[in-house]
Amino acid sequence: MSTVILESAGTASTMRRNFWRGVWRVMLRKPSRLVGAVIVLGFAFMGVFGPMFYPDLLPHNADNIYAPMSGEHWFGTDGQGRDVVALVVTGSRYVLLSALVTAIITVVLGTSIGLFSGFKRGRWDTVLMRLTDMKLTIPGLPLLLVLSTVWKFGSAVEMGLLLGLLGWGGVARAVRSQTLSLRERGFIEAARGLGLSTTHIVGKELLPSMAPYIAMNMLIAVTGAVYAQVGLFFLGVLPYEANNWGVMLNLAVFGGGAMTTTAALPYMLAPLLAILLLTLGIVLVVDAMDEIFNPRLREE
Amino acid sequence: MTVIARRLAGHLARGIVMVLVVATISFFIIRNIPGDPIAARYQKLIEGGASPEAAERATAVMYGFLPKGTLWQQYLDYMSGLFHFDLGISVTNPGTPVTEVLAGAAKWTVLPVLFGTLLSFLVGVILGVYAAVKRTGKLGDVLAVSGSLLHGVPQYVLALLMGAIFTTLLPILPSDGTADILYEPGFNAGYIGSLVEHATLPVVTYALASYGGWILAMKSSVVTVLGDDFILAAELRGMKRSVIFRYIARNAILPLFTILALSLGLLFGGSIFIERIFNYPGLGFLLIDSITNRDYALMGGAFLLITVAIVVANILADLFYSVIDPRVRSTEEVS
Amino acid sequence: MPQEAPGVRVDGLTVVYRTPAGELPAVRDVSLTLEPGTITGIVGESGSGKSTMALSLLNAVQPPGRIAAGSVEIDGLGDVVGFAGERLRKARGAHIGYVFQAAQNSMNPLKTVGKQLLDLGRSHGVADLRGLVREAKELLARMGLDGARVLDSYQHELSGGMRQRVGIMLALVLNAHLVVLDEPTTALDMITQANILKIVREVHAERGLTTLVITHDIGVVAEVADRLAVMYGGRLVEQGPTRQVLGSPRHPYTRGLITAIPRLTGDIDEARALPGRPPTLATVPKEGCVFRERCPLRMDVCDTVDPDAVADGSRIVACHAVNVREHA
Repeated sequence: MSTVILESAGTASTMRRNFWRGVWRVMLRKPSRLVGAVIVLGFAFMGVFGPMFYPDLLPHNADNIYAPMSGEHWFGTDGQGRDVVALVVTGSRYVLLSALVTAIITVVLGTSIGLFSGFKRGRWDTVLMRLTDMKLTIPGLPLLLVLSTVWKFGSAVEMGLLLGLLGWGGVARAVRSQTLSLRERGFIEAARGLGLSTTHIVGKELLPSMAPYIAMNMLIAVTGAVYAQVGLFFLGVLPYEANNWGVMLNLAVFGGGAMTTTAALPYMLAPLLAILLLTLGIVLVVDAMDEIFNPRLREE
Repeated sequence: MTVIARRLAGHLARGIVMVLVVATISFFIIRNIPGDPIAARYQKLIEGGASPEAAERATAVMYGFLPKGTLWQQYLDYMSGLFHFDLGISVTNPGTPVTEVLAGAAKWTVLPVLFGTLLSFLVGVILGVYAAVKRTGKLGDVLAVSGSLLHGVPQYVLALLMGAIFTTLLPILPSDGTADILYEPGFNAGYIGSLVEHATLPVVTYALASYGGWILAMKSSVVTVLGDDFILAAELRGMKRSVIFRYIARNAILPLFTILALSLGLLFGGSIFIERIFNYPGLGFLLIDSITNRDYALMGGAFLLITVAIVVANILADLFYSVIDPRVRSTEEVS
Repeated sequence: MPQEAPGVRVDGLTVVYRTPAGELPAVRDVSLTLEPGTITGIVGESGSGKSTMALSLLNAVQPPGRIAAGSVEIDGLGDVVGFAGERLRKARGAHIGYVFQAAQNSMNPLKTVGKQLLDLGRSHGVADLRGLVREAKELLARMGLDGARVLDSYQHELSGGMRQRVGIMLALVLNAHLVVLDEPTTALDMITQANILKIVREVHAERGLTTLVITHDIGVVAEVADRLAVMYGGRLVEQGPTRQVLGSPRHPYTRGLITAIPRLTGDIDEARALPGRPPTLATVPKEGCVFRERCPLRMDVCDTVDPDAVADGSRIVACHAVNVREHA
């Protein structure tokens, strides 16, 4: 283990090539994983380029509200006669952008706190982990609801920021336990013995070996963030400043009465399907990553 | 015994800190809400002709602290109110103390969630055993996949789908409150029947949403125990299958009881989406209502109650674990 | 129920494990006889197939492994390879006792030893459970333990040496006369090791048992065994009376094993480790002698022909070099 990771410079390029070949093999073994990757990439494309296909103000039509599914409007229209598919596509940007911000904050905060905690141990570790525990115990959704009274999350970046600040606990825990286990195997001492600096040990040796754990926990955090923000908008405690899947759900259920009449059902189902599809994609990708990075499964 | 006492003391101390932190968050949020509702209220009372003393008293009763004095003074007032179980007065329910409103809503949350949790625990655990035993077969695959999917999907997606199917498309189950208003609340068949009918969707949705977690947890627990040496040992000693099955079951379910105790902490706050979607007037519904109606004392109280439930469940889970696992009970040196 | 020490005849036993690379043999064509009333030791490195061999005696090879060929004939029972279901279950425990390695947790951590003893009794239809408890206490007292206290303890409250004695008690309490001990002293300190071995020897003699000891520690066999069998790469390479095998080892592997032991008296440099590594399931040669890669006496024939086990008096050796020299 340690030899493989320590000899980094010369073999790095071959290792990288082998890695990508391994990724490809794992992907091919279960085609569903390829589907997962395609779904996730598709959503990314939709978030970045999707809104460009539509005008800033979607055309509405007061004579054609809550239209049923048809060739023209695949998922019907909303309460203002706007096309639901267009709403889902333009709404994806807010959802995905804030998820991206959450992901970055989660990874940066979680990794640095976890590394610091596992590396220093002792008093700092205890204090930080108590804090993490406490954050993990405070009920997340009620806290978000209460916070919504003072913070209106006007932009996707703000929303992502808050969710990231609340969500780094899981990654921190995972990184810390990884650091501790590498430590226990004499890994850090060995690197020290070779005269490597702390920055080198952390940056070149520790981080690469736990990248998979970080990535996996990040994906889980992102999924949670998507659910949380869509849920917050759905509950209607935030002003509808942006077009967003949660706003769509809220309007469909509490405005269009999707729980009592069938007219607004397609309007409600479209964002639900988008969420389900995104979840499926992420689950499949996590499954693939699990196998790529799990040495036990990789060997044969 | 001393081990348990020490652990309990540690948990209690941490729990108290948690509650204090949450109360502090509530205080600062209420105080910093844009537009300062407390000062506005006070101002309104003065304008309405009340004496400054009367206005102060009325505001203090409502929010637990006065809009005057240093921040520290206000904070202390608020906290000391908490220690007397005085959470202020609800604005939306004029004259009713927050504690009373909370108690009224709590029963509509606790019973369905408790029922839903136990239902999903039971079904999830039994199917989890099957998923573990048949893990190489088709049935095991189907069970595991159904578990992962249900576990991965957020609660509100499930609730909305359930609602769409059972109240919109085939209107067989109601999703409007706790019972039809034409029945007189009381112990009569019509009312109770209506209660059950209205509780079905919330309970089943809650059970479905948590079932996936149980089946996955039980499966991995059983698989772990199956690999333990003592199971092979029992087999090589010629123990009966039924005996070995009991050994596996008891060892595998042990960690799940802890999760069960922890998940009971969600009794008060675990069904916000479900209550909102099915218009079920529990604590989650109340929390959202209090936010939309700017009833901040009620909001703070609901948030606090939800947190306290989690803290209490944490403590109970730990106590419970020390009772059922002999290893925790007697090892003194384990920290 | 056999009241006397049974003899055991293992004949042509082959055990294979299903792997992605097909079915690979962990034990190949092994024949071994346990004479009634003797202690036999099987020595081998990890991966030599000795534990699989031990489990075969109870027809308890765990999936993905299975017994592919051969028989295990036990006096008073029959060929256990053909046993299944209730018949097999009742043979285990009541006729054949199995003692796990001390480091393994062979007891249910959530039940006291006494309760598990009662489970064992009920599983085997013991009518007189009081008598069973009395017998267990006597056995524990015989091994120097306070029976009442041990029966009232959980596994985690017992030390390694105590667990091992409880394991022996559970193997014998139903009056089994054939006992298999898997690494009985591994993970125990030196004094406890000596104690356990003494107990094994004494109980063996007092109760009239046939005993099989599986170990990687040649010292353990030297201490207790009447006969010694050496396994390598799933093959039995040499067997015979312990003293003879240790005194004049014939198979080059056995010789290597013995010279690898440092002696208390004498030069530490005389102890030479065997070069190379033992084969794993996947690296065992498919044809020819399994030991040839590390063998100092390697000949051409070793690459293609698996040497037969040839008997010479009470000794059996499977080696081309040795057998050629002695029979040519």
